[in-house]
Amino acid sequence: MPIESAVPLLLDNPFQRGYVPSIVYVSLYVSVIAVTLSTLVSLPIGLVMGFTQFPGKQFVKSVINTGMGFPSVVVGLMVLFAVSNQGPLGALDLIFTKQAMIISQFVLATPPITAISLAAITGVDENVRDAARALGGTRLDVALVVIKEARYGIATAVLAGFGRAISEVGSVLIVGGNITSADGISKTRTLTTAIQLEARQGRYETAMVLGAVLVTIVLLVNAIVVRLGETGAMNR
Amino acid sequence: MIRLSNVSHSYGVEQVVDDVSLDVEPGEVVAVIGPSGVGKTTLLRTMALFLEPDAGTVALDGDAVWDAAEDERLALRRRIGMVFQEASLFDASVARNVEYGLRVRQDWRERIREQLRSLAGSTNPAAAVEDALEVVGLADKLDQQARSLSGGEAQRVSFARALAYEPSYLLLDEPTSDLDPRNTGLIEEAVFEARDRGIGVVVATHDMHQAERVADRVGVLLGDGFTEVGPTERIFDDPSDERTRKFISGELVY
Amino acid sequence: MQRRKFLQGVGLAAVASTAGCTQITGSESTEAAGVSGETLTLTTTTSTYDTGLLDAIHSDFEEMYGVTVDAVAQGTGAALESARNGDSDVVMVHARGLEDEFMRNGYGINRRDLMFNDFVIVGPTSDPAGIEGSSSATEALATIAETQSAFVSRGDNSGTHTKEKNLWEAAGVDPGGDWYQEIGAGMGEALNNANQQGAYTLSDRGTYISQRSEIDLTILVQGPIEGGPEILANPYGIMAVNPGVHDNANYDLAMAYIGWITSPGAQDAISNYEMNGEQLFYPEAVSEEPNFQQYVPEGWSSDSDSE
Ligand SMILES: Nc1ncnc2c1ncn2[C@@H]1O[C@H](COP(=O)(O)OP(=O)(O)O)[C@@H](O)[C@H]1O
Ligand SMILES: [Mg+2]
Repeated sequence: MPIESAVPLLLDNPFQRGYVPSIVYVSLYVSVIAVTLSTLVSLPIGLVMGFTQFPGKQFVKSVINTGMGFPSVVVGLMVLFAVSNQGPLGALDLIFTKQAMIISQFVLATPPITAISLAAITGVDENVRDAARALGGTRLDVALVVIKEARYGIATAVLAGFGRAISEVGSVLIVGGNITSADGISKTRTLTTAIQLEARQGRYETAMVLGAVLVTIVLLVNAIVVRLGETGAMNR
Repeated sequence: MIRLSNVSHSYGVEQVVDDVSLDVEPGEVVAVIGPSGVGKTTLLRTMALFLEPDAGTVALDGDAVWDAAEDERLALRRRIGMVFQEASLFDASVARNVEYGLRVRQDWRERIREQLRSLAGSTNPAAAVEDALEVVGLADKLDQQARSLSGGEAQRVSFARALAYEPSYLLLDEPTSDLDPRNTGLIEEAVFEARDRGIGVVVATHDMHQAERVADRVGVLLGDGFTEVGPTERIFDDPSDERTRKFISGELVY
Repeated sequence: MQRRKFLQGVGLAAVASTAGCTQITGSESTEAAGVSGETLTLTTTTSTYDTGLLDAIHSDFEEMYGVTVDAVAQGTGAALESARNGDSDVVMVHARGLEDEFMRNGYGINRRDLMFNDFVIVGPTSDPAGIEGSSSATEALATIAETQSAFVSRGDNSGTHTKEKNLWEAAGVDPGGDWYQEIGAGMGEALNNANQQGAYTLSDRGTYISQRSEIDLTILVQGPIEGGPEILANPYGIMAVNPGVHDNANYDLAMAYIGWITSPGAQDAISNYEMNGEQLFYPEAVSEEPNFQQYVPEGWSSDSDSE
């Protein structure tokens, strides 16, 4: 895992070897997959909401806005009920797995990504949409143009969702169980739940170190996304 | 030939286009003149197959457009180019803007390959792209970002963008209304070039002098449909309709 | 559970590769074909988990059977609730009353006494209430209440909190007022909180020992391990989730685990587990004398049931 080399400063502290890289890995694995799924769901919703009128649209909008402020522990409880052995998804045996954590982070990240994307999409000049259509674009082509034009806003949306997902502790603790194996390799322990665990034991210094790692990751991801937006990759 | 037959369109209760008929042949320039708010844009959007008229038919080379299936209509639509009053370029390079029409006409495999190639940094703009930019005198701006262009340059790129995929008809909605004389001249020259290539061009304008300069035929839109459609020279020198005469002489003020 | 059956079929090599490279099962041996490659979910209390005991002893079990133990530290109430919902296979807690209820309701079977340590009442060395050396925990608490000395309560319905509430009741005090603070947090946080305010609190000995070097709190009332009152005993029990109630429970592996952790080898490992040079847990499963009460709810007898 390449992350290992990224945290050399942690090698001579109380953590076991491989422990911090493994929780960084789990944090990223869960958040990145959840945010990717959220984005894939949010963009079509944003496009449909942005360009069409349908009955209940206002209701959908208020659901999204409410969802933005949804406390993560409440989401955690709802997902727990869903994936618990007694719940509707119980047969899938997802409780205390990364998959369950992905579900709860998906639920948490989708509303902000949708809301911010929607704002960006509705901000795209109607003339640009007309131009794409006039130049022979199909409906899908027009949608792609809109997404491209709104790319900075959408990047902001994805970052907001990622920030919410990776720094969230309540729901992943409830549905993931904060598990490591006996040899100290994380199964469902993330940076946030590890911080929570350290704090629970009053080990505030190590909690701070993990907090610094978390903040660094968030900053790095922000920098990468901003950089991608600035360079040719998307502009050309 | 684009043929509008007894076309009407209204927004809600307001009748904007009322029983209009017009033919546009390949290789001719038709100007639609009329005061602001009379419905020129609406008429052009109808011709561009953006708007389905409330009544009447729109036909392209004999095919009734709104009777056709959706994919057939797309194919018909793709034979027509439209340049809007505002340039509305995509936030990308000039080359990207101009090749857009070509790109959407490719199949997906080709488009993805193209995208990957451009991510890898190697791009050879299609000859049609360079040619279209040549027509508007901007061949040297290929790699510039669209947002850094001047208003006149942006409008010329917008023209090149519609020309690049070689449409049969080109509809220009007040293409020079915000431009200085030099850029206006360049656009008008591009109109001639398009006509010489056999494209049927429609220019909507409130500028009668521009109509006189570029058009082979002129339609005068003054409220309830065309008061008169005919050869430019005759319309300006000897209008048969009283209102047309008043509008052209400036007596009729809207 | 379905996934477990699947993993069982695919075998260890596949487990390592499909599990996203984070699960290292510790053993390459596939001889223990019955349960090999399976995962045991153990819900337990924060006090057993946070002392590091489970991580220290589990690798033994995992190697022996070629399995993975997922230990989820939840606090007694939540650990039992997870088991009640069929989300875990085995449960290790320290609240006999709740364990008995769990068994009576049919969720848990094959309970064993596992180990014990004790609770201590800790406080600032200045000891404003003057309880040091008291041989009665309830009297000490009553004095704290009388003098309105600051007291930090876990307030989280954990096993320790349950114990504390029982002690107040036994002391005949209904604690309340500015001096009594429920913080709704884990033991480590409670100790830190008490340390900062110079307050008293009830702690399990293990957590106190593991944190003693960082705080100024001292033991004022000892538990039974150091000769204190029996009421401060803190016994841990272990139970399998009843496969008759939850047919997805991994009963075979749960019983293998209970068998292993109550075996002389694992019990030795528990008693050898030290922190800061001190033993944290005292094994209780291996004994010459029969102890039938560990298998049934306290006070249960076959006579009373058959009437
Ligand atoms: N989308 C629309 N909805 C309602 N009314 C419109 C719309 N577009 C144009 N109109 C109205 O139709 C009339 C004609 O507009 P337009 O075709 O833009 O005229 P022109 O291009 O000649 O200035 C105007 O009164 C305008 O307000
Ligand atoms: Mg107009």
